[in-house]
Amino acid sequence: MNAATDSYLAGKGGIPEWFTSTDHKKISLMFLGWTGFAFLLGAIFGLFLIVKSLGGRGLEPRFVFQALTYSRLLLVFLFLVPALPSVLGFFLLPLQLGASNMALPGLSRCSLRFYVIGLVLLIASLVGGPIATGWTMAAPLVVAETGLFALVAFGLFFSALSWFLTGVNFLVTVHHSRAPGMGFFDMPILSWALYLTGYLLVVVGSLFAIVILYLTASRFSGEGIFGADPMLWNNYFWFVTTPAAFFALLPAVGVISEIIAGISRKPVAGYRMVVGSMIALLGMSFLGWGVNLVGQGQDPITTLVFQALGILAVVPVALISYSWLATLYQGAVARESVIVFVFAFMVNAGIAALMGLFLISPSVGAYLGTTMFAATRLDYLIWGGVLSALLAGLHYWWPKMTGKDYSQDVARIGGVLYLVGINMALIPNLILGVGGVTGDMAAFEAGPSGLAELAGLGWLIVYSGLILVAGNLFASTWGKATDEVNPWGASTLEWKTATPPPEGNFNETPQAEGLYRY
Amino acid sequence: MIGSPILATWFPEAASTHAAGVDGPFYWIYIAAVLALFLFAGLGGIFLWIFRRQDRNQLGAVTGPLNPVFLGLWVLGALGLAVFAFVAGFPGFIDKTVAPQGSYGIEVTARQWGWDFTYPNGHVADTLHVAKGFPVRLTLNTEDVEQGLSIPAMRVNQAIVPGLQSEAWFEATTPGSFELRGSIFSGDGFTDMNSALVVHEPADFTAWLASVSDIFQGRTYEEVGEILYSRLGCKACHTTTGHKLVGPTFLDMYGFEFDTVEGNKITVDDAYVRESILTPNVSVIAGYQPVMTPFAGLVTDQEIEAITAWLKTLSSKGGVEAGAEAGAEESPEAENTESGDAAGQEEN
Repeated sequence: MNAATDSYLAGKGGIPEWFTSTDHKKISLMFLGWTGFAFLLGAIFGLFLIVKSLGGRGLEPRFVFQALTYSRLLLVFLFLVPALPSVLGFFLLPLQLGASNMALPGLSRCSLRFYVIGLVLLIASLVGGPIATGWTMAAPLVVAETGLFALVAFGLFFSALSWFLTGVNFLVTVHHSRAPGMGFFDMPILSWALYLTGYLLVVVGSLFAIVILYLTASRFSGEGIFGADPMLWNNYFWFVTTPAAFFALLPAVGVISEIIAGISRKPVAGYRMVVGSMIALLGMSFLGWGVNLVGQGQDPITTLVFQALGILAVVPVALISYSWLATLYQGAVARESVIVFVFAFMVNAGIAALMGLFLISPSVGAYLGTTMFAATRLDYLIWGGVLSALLAGLHYWWPKMTGKDYSQDVARIGGVLYLVGINMALIPNLILGVGGVTGDMAAFEAGPSGLAELAGLGWLIVYSGLILVAGNLFASTWGKATDEVNPWGASTLEWKTATPPPEGNFNETPQAEGLYRY
Repeated sequence: MIGSPILATWFPEAASTHAAGVDGPFYWIYIAAVLALFLFAGLGGIFLWIFRRQDRNQLGAVTGPLNPVFLGLWVLGALGLAVFAFVAGFPGFIDKTVAPQGSYGIEVTARQWGWDFTYPNGHVADTLHVAKGFPVRLTLNTEDVEQGLSIPAMRVNQAIVPGLQSEAWFEATTPGSFELRGSIFSGDGFTDMNSALVVHEPADFTAWLASVSDIFQGRTYEEVGEILYSRLGCKACHTTTGHKLVGPTFLDMYGFEFDTVEGNKITVDDAYVRESILTPNVSVIAGYQPVMTPFAGLVTDQEIEAITAWLKTLSSKGGVEAGAEAGAEESPEAENTESGDAAGQEEN
């Protein structure tokens, strides 16, 4: 059934077709390229901060603040939030549901185009007059900013629209395009995660698009609703970005649960429990924004209420983590390199989740809330959680996406370097944060002897690992075609069609045959 | 990263009574979190290793429904950890929130980019000085954007939002000099928010405040004049660089002749400076509005003499060598053409 000639990659339209296609698989690969580009740009700006922390001369404070602002904007809004739904979501959702495409193919293309417009506008602001407000864009700083804020704002506006359209597409696809006989509780766990992420993207995307326009109006009028009350902007900003940034782990949970079941050749342990936990996480993501305002002008009683609510988030996280361990237990775990990335996710996302304990502890949270400690938690989510899940997903589904095998050894080495490096790079920032260094200001702090050097070496190792990993996958596209349709022996529908899939995904409409039957 | 000797170096010196309420819970949460991480990631790593596939077609074992005892213990353990974190940090938070009665009050004003610490006797300093063993209540305001005050050794971290007055308090337990910094990014000059907290023995603090409050002690009249230029707020309307604001620049003002809005000509001398400070709207230089606040009753004769002495240093006709600061920034010749209200008018 390995019908390369029918493959979606064998389209006759050449390169132009990639820019006009509405095929979800091509949209996904285009998103991989663009989000990869945004990540690369964000990482390059991050390099300036590392150089500054190592005593780099000639880097003026405003330039460093600009680098910091753009590194965060790119990594959070154009990578952290969209990467998993746009790359793995677009590729896998129709395949897992047994559909031939997303329910709204034109909207898929629109999502991609809005994303690209957003990215281009952000880059245009970089060229024309970069801003240095920090990524949280506090209203009074935005009003006084001399850079081209309007371009940034419209860049983020289009990105938010892209999230919104992606979310709508996911919801409609799940409701309308499931294979005959596939009920909601017959959907693979990743499809559930993407479905719930759809709600998140719709709410967060539309709200963020609106508030960023309000903020722009505040800037040009010098007043407006956010000009008069900075705390109002802070609340809106975190209400939107808490679900987006801190619960970007929702699709990551789906990816990791799916992979663990696939590589173990076992059903997801406590499937309905995991679905329920993800629904709980989705709900709590809209109740948790105040935890990010600890120490930032929020009154003490409100702070305590948010911190108490934060305790509840532990329950679904515990249930999901238990499910992973129970699924692996007595599984038939594949020996391939993907397990390195699954393990990396467990370590990095585990650290990010446990760091939340410090922030919901009232006195400790009040002290650490605006320090490098809290900022490093965001780094653990971006560089640790979401990136690990994306890399795990790419290594798991790469043969399906491209029809090619990659070198397992190179992937293993790259994965280990990434895991070791990221912790070497980030733990020094945790130490600086506890020492009282203000959030995102590590570049200006010497700190205890050798700390900046350790972090610098860590980043060097991270980048080496990532170059190996990306190079390995990229090089595989010229390598030999995979000779297996289902290398993991997994049970979900995406493995029941050709590798790579044909244009319409399935030659015959698949029937749902029960979930996770091996 | 495990073990208290190493961990102890993470925090700055514990120099206030708040430290126990922050450091203690932090250490316990840290130990619990490390154990939880090892348990979870450790089990994950072990399972990934020991249950690896022996042959290509092997299937995972059918393990049946989840064990309710293990699941219950796992969830209760996690919940217990979170409740512990919250409860452990609660007393310290309550303690930090309300300052004790009778605390020594200091007003803190943040701006882009610096601090003013105003003591009860009106003395203003750009570093914070306190006495050991006495609770200090800080009343915080910002003149412009959001700011934050962080004194890590005191475990103080407080946001300052425009239009909202906030409070923080601490009681220092160790004399010495400690870092004080901005805790919320406030723009391009943010690194200039770094200042210092100096903790004195009580007797030394009293002596320090008495000495710095006498502005003339150990300073020339010219130096005092320059300090008053900032402290009285003159700099909001008058530059020393030749640029016009609401009021005329002080550069090349003393000794020069100006037209007034009343149609007269005046020469800026000691008497005019005195009149302009005490009753500024009687004789106003042409091109400006009579909007200055009179300072009658707010400044002493000695302070007016100091301001006059300092103005002379800014003028090529002051009879004193031009002030190093003004001369260093921009040449008077270049600025006169831009300001147009001093030398240019004299030539007319």
